[in-house]
Amino acid sequence: MKKMKNIVPILALLITIFLFATVLLVSSTFEQRRQVYLDTEMQKVYNSLNDMQIYMLMSDTYDQKMACIAYKEKLRDLDKTTWQLGQKIDQYRAASEEFRKDPYYLQQKQVFNENEMLYLLLLKKVKETCDMQQSIIIFFYQNSDDCKKCDDQSFILTDIHRDIDKDAAIFSFDIDLNLTTVRLLREYYDVKELPCVVIDDHPYCGIQGRDFIVGKICENVTTLPQCQTQNASG
Amino acid sequence: MNPVHAALAYFVWFLSTYYLLFFILTLFANESRLFERRRLGAQRPLVTILVPAYNEQGKIAQTIASLKRITYERVEVIVINDGSKDRTSDETRAAIKGDGRFRLIDRRENRGKGASLNDGIAAARGEYIVTIDADTVVEPNILQKVLPYFDDEKVGAVTVSVLVKRPQRFLHRVLELEYIIGLSLFLRLLSFMGIVFVTPGPFSIYRASMLRKIQGFDASNITEDLEIAYRIRFAGYRIVNCMDAKVYTILPPTFKGLYRQRRRWYTGAIQTMYQHRKQIFTTRQGLFSAFIVFNYSLIFVGIILFLSSMYLAASHLTQQLWEYQYTGWNFLENLKEYRFDILRFSGIEIIGLMGLLSTFVLLGLGLYYTRTNVRHKKAAIAGYPVLFFLYQLWWIAAIISAVRGKRVKWK
Repeated sequence: MKKMKNIVPILALLITIFLFATVLLVSSTFEQRRQVYLDTEMQKVYNSLNDMQIYMLMSDTYDQKMACIAYKEKLRDLDKTTWQLGQKIDQYRAASEEFRKDPYYLQQKQVFNENEMLYLLLLKKVKETCDMQQSIIIFFYQNSDDCKKCDDQSFILTDIHRDIDKDAAIFSFDIDLNLTTVRLLREYYDVKELPCVVIDDHPYCGIQGRDFIVGKICENVTTLPQCQTQNASG
Repeated sequence: MNPVHAALAYFVWFLSTYYLLFFILTLFANESRLFERRRLGAQRPLVTILVPAYNEQGKIAQTIASLKRITYERVEVIVINDGSKDRTSDETRAAIKGDGRFRLIDRRENRGKGASLNDGIAAARGEYIVTIDADTVVEPNILQKVLPYFDDEKVGAVTVSVLVKRPQRFLHRVLELEYIIGLSLFLRLLSFMGIVFVTPGPFSIYRASMLRKIQGFDASNITEDLEIAYRIRFAGYRIVNCMDAKVYTILPPTFKGLYRQRRRWYTGAIQTMYQHRKQIFTTRQGLFSAFIVFNYSLIFVGIILFLSSMYLAASHLTQQLWEYQYTGWNFLENLKEYRFDILRFSGIEIIGLMGLLSTFVLLGLGLYYTRTNVRHKKAAIAGYPVLFFLYQLWWIAAIISAVRGKRVKWK
């Protein structure tokens, strides 16, 4: 009986350590799967952007309008994929960084912002070439510790994107990443305050509500159901 | 990312998992002895049953009725009316009338349970003294089950399974499960390890000579049943548990009553620990001291984790509500868009799930090994995790009371 009394505390400790190791193993497995998912999705975005560039060259070389159908199809998928990928990077980063920052996610954000920049430039060109009615919204933000309203603006834009993802493309650029391309774009639009939302080349800094942003989108995309509702209530 | 909160969560998880496994392994190692029955010897020592009562009208009569059904031959019962303001005294007189085994000590002034019990000890003639609450109902053969444990000279007190009588409300049904696990199985397992740290008020039996040696109950302590257990241990005696012997107690009918009871229990636990801190930390009490320190440290660290979690949850909720004002409070539309993604689980979510699972594992094992019929208990089983939130609130109230030195009353 005394032997049993001595064994129980030690055995309990060993099993606890084993369970703890299991938790760490499961966490590590999840982390690997997160990275595989993000790498795969990032590759998809990259491939789509490559396709867009090829269509662009085709338009330039052959008929300007011939690639427009292909553009529109590609944009529909690319827009949703890009938005979701951006959200996943943030979500998975929060899950992974329990104790320390993980350089992998910082790197992913940088690559993502660069891909977004490429997508933005291609989209602008496509709009001109194919005469598309789509709003382009550029959102400049930084870390919520330094910009409390940036989180609020992000929430509003997520809400808007859910309703009108086909008719408006939203690009989010994190100032804290210090990317040259983002800095240049910020200087171009003369963004001095964060958060700042540039809607179809017009900057509106400070937090902008949902109705305001939708209203601005409706000035360019009149076919949106939300625009008809707004006009009716207006 | 909140590394302090994360570290605290892992720490609490590790300690509580260890604690749980410690008891599960003790259970498996002693499975065959859980409902051990010992034979009563030829001798029939006199047993005194003390029933302190304060404002127990409507309840005292059924307690006395159950005591009258006790089949042990040599029993005396002393009811101590501790200055009740209701009809406790009259109902007691009516209930004990004509039965020579029963006596009433009728006090005009309320002096507290500990003092009442000490009065009873002074008047007791028995070799063994039972203390029970005035709303407890006992089994007829309970004394035959517990007395054999005193064959071991080192045993100073024996505890029994304390169960809930006819729970009606949902919360009472959940607490019934808690009593099955905590005041039945848990005490038995502590008994196997030699670390029983409480002699529950609803029913405990003591060696009378030992009680007098340690000068009875501490009348100034609001949890005299817990405090005396410490002194029994420090005096070199053991407290054991007879899980086969059962008594049934009544829970406070209202949530407020329940809150008061638990605040008293937990404030008393803190005060008792503080009162005996020197003996706990310096005297060689072995596993007993280690268990007391571990048990209460886990509770306090758990409370810190709870408060941290509540703060983070409240901050997050406030942030969410603030943001929804910008989108017309469209909660439902956002809910429709929600997609479950297991890859969003961090280590904290994983250990949280494991914690929830282990709660049900413990509950399942407890109900199985105590041979409890779960047929009408499914809703209570599902609601069992709610108790952990209540524990935190009750403990926080107790800590505040203890720190303020506030006098916590019985009723």
